[in-house]
Amino acid sequence: MASVEDAAEPDRRLPKSTRKRLVETGRHALLLVWSFVVLFPLYWIISMSLKPPSEAIALPPDWIFLPTVYNYIQLLQEGSFVDAFLNSVFMISASVVLVLVIGVPAAYVLSRYDIPRQRDVLVWILSSRMLPPVAVIIPFFVIFRALNLYDTRIGMIFMYVTINISVVVWVMKAFFDGIPETLEEAARVDGATQFQAFRKVILPAAKPGIFSVAIISFIFAWIELLFSLVLTNSRAVTVTMEVYQFIGVRQIEWGMLAAATTATIVPVVVFVIAVNKYLAAGLSFGVVIKE
Amino acid sequence: MSTPTETAVSSSSGFSRLQELWNEYLPYWFMTPMVLVVLLITIFPGAYDMYLALVKYKLTDPTTIGQFNGLANFETAFGSRNALNSFRITIVFVAGALVLETALGFVLAALVTGVSSKRMKTFYRVAFILPMAVAPVSLATIGRIMLNPEIGVIPYMVRTFTPFVAPNLLSDVPLLTVILADVWNWTPFMFIIFYAGMSSVPETLVEASRVDGAPLWRRYAHVIIPHMKPVLFVAILIRLIDLFRTFGLTFSLTSGGPGSQTELVSINIFETGFTFVDLGAAAAIAIIYLIGIVALCNILIIKVGFEGVWD
Repeated sequence: MASVEDAAEPDRRLPKSTRKRLVETGRHALLLVWSFVVLFPLYWIISMSLKPPSEAIALPPDWIFLPTVYNYIQLLQEGSFVDAFLNSVFMISASVVLVLVIGVPAAYVLSRYDIPRQRDVLVWILSSRMLPPVAVIIPFFVIFRALNLYDTRIGMIFMYVTINISVVVWVMKAFFDGIPETLEEAARVDGATQFQAFRKVILPAAKPGIFSVAIISFIFAWIELLFSLVLTNSRAVTVTMEVYQFIGVRQIEWGMLAAATTATIVPVVVFVIAVNKYLAAGLSFGVVIKE
Repeated sequence: MSTPTETAVSSSSGFSRLQELWNEYLPYWFMTPMVLVVLLITIFPGAYDMYLALVKYKLTDPTTIGQFNGLANFETAFGSRNALNSFRITIVFVAGALVLETALGFVLAALVTGVSSKRMKTFYRVAFILPMAVAPVSLATIGRIMLNPEIGVIPYMVRTFTPFVAPNLLSDVPLLTVILADVWNWTPFMFIIFYAGMSSVPETLVEASRVDGAPLWRRYAHVIIPHMKPVLFVAILIRLIDLFRTFGLTFSLTSGGPGSQTELVSINIFETGFTFVDLGAAAAIAIIYLIGIVALCNILIIKVGFEGVWD
C-alpha cells in the first residue's frame, strides 16, 4: 500500500536520506529531553550536597562553585547516619544471602520435578508480593513485640526476605528451565549425587541468574522505608529511615539533607551502572532472561 | 569414597545414613524452607488481619485489647477514617501511574532500540534506568527541595522564564505531583523490561515488515507487540502489584496531604494503626485492601495470563 503511494506522489516526499536523518534527529531530540528529565534531579541533589551552606539554596543557582565536603563532614559527625548506613548494608546483605539459600533450591525443584499443580504453586508464591506491606506489617508488629523481635536486626533481615522470596523463586525457576537437563544427567552418570550435581554443575551454570536476583533483592530492600518506620526504633534503623527523619527535623539544613540523600543514591547508582546488563532478568520475574 | 546412594552404606555410620536421607528426600529439603516462609507471609498476615479487624486493639487502651468488637472497626474505618476516599485516591494514583509508565516506557524502549550509534544506545540505556536506584524517600527529599516555592529551582525557572505564576505543585496539584514523581522513579522498570523484550523480537520479522513497506504503527501492532505479549503482561502485572504497595514516596513527599488529597490506602492504614494507634481499624482497612488486590491480580493472572498470553 505505502509503496504504491510512494510511486504516485514521488515529489511530495523528501529524499530518503534526508528523511532518515530527520527521523534520527527527532529521535535523539526526544531521547535527550528524557535524559535531561532523568539526570537533572540527580545532578541537582549531588551538586547541592557539595555546595557550602551559603550557596546551597541560592537562586539563581550558582552553576559554578567550589565543591566542598562540608556537608558530608557534618553528616559523619552526626554518627547516627553512618550507623544506619552500615546497618542497612549489613542487614540487607544478610537477607540477600538468606533469601538465596531459601529460594534458589526451591526454584530448582520447581523447575526439575513434577510438582502437582505447579502453576498454582507459582501464583501462590507470587501472591506473597501482592499483599501490601502495610497490611502485612500490622500482624508482624504485634508478633515482633511479643517475640522480642521489635527493633532487632534479625527481625528486619526476615522482613527483607519476605519482600524478595517471590522474585528469587520466579527468576531462578526461569533460569533453571533454560539449563538443559542433560547437564546434570551427565554428572549423575559420572557418579555424582543429586545434590552434588546441583551444587557443582547447575549452580555454576545459573550464575548470571543468581547474580541478577541478588542485585534486584538488594535494591528492593535498600529502598524500603515502611519496615524500619514501624519495626525499628534505634538499634536496627535503616538508612532510608534516617533520611526520612531528616525531612522532619532538619528541614532547614538543606545542605545536610542533600548530602544524606546523595549518600543513599550514589552507591546504588554506581552499582546499577556496573550491573545494568543483569537487571532485566530480575525485574521481569524471569520473563526476559537475556538482553 | 563410596557413593552414599548405595544401600550397603546405610549400615555403616550415622553420618552416611544422614547423607542418604538428604539425597533421597532432596526435593523436600529444598522446598520446605521456602514453603514455610511463604506460608508465614501469606496465610498468617491475612488470618491475623482478619482477627484484628474483629477485635478491639487500641494500644492506648490495653485493658480492652482482644475483646470482640463486631463490625465496629469497619465502622471506624469507613466513618471517621474515611477509607472509601482513600480507595478512590489509590485507584486514580495506580491507574494514572500505570498508564503513564507503560506508555512512556514503551515509547522510550522503541526509540532507544532504533538508535544506530552503539555508544549513544548504551548511554540512553544506562541513563534511563538510573531513577530506579533512587529510594522513594530520597526522591521525596529531592522533590521537596526542587519544588519548594521559596528555594526550589523548578518554581524559580517558571517564574523567571515564563509569564506564569510559579505553582506550588505539592499543594496545588498534589496527586498529580505524586503520580509524576512515581513516573520518574519507576518508568525505568517498564523501559528496561520492554527494551529487553523488544530485542528478542526476531530481526527477520521486523525486517520483512519494513521491506513490505508497512507503516510504522502497523509494524508495532502486527509484529512487535504480539511478539512481546508475555513481556508486556508480566511487566504491567508486576508494576500493578507494586503500585498498590506504594507507601514511601507519597508518605515522605506529602504525608497524604494536603488534607487527605494524596492519602493512599497504604497511608491511611499506617496513620490509623500507628498514629491513631487503632490496630483493629487499621486491620479492617487492610483486610479489604488485601482481598481486593489479591482478587484483582488473580483474575488478571487467570483470565489474561493463563487463558491468553501464557498458552
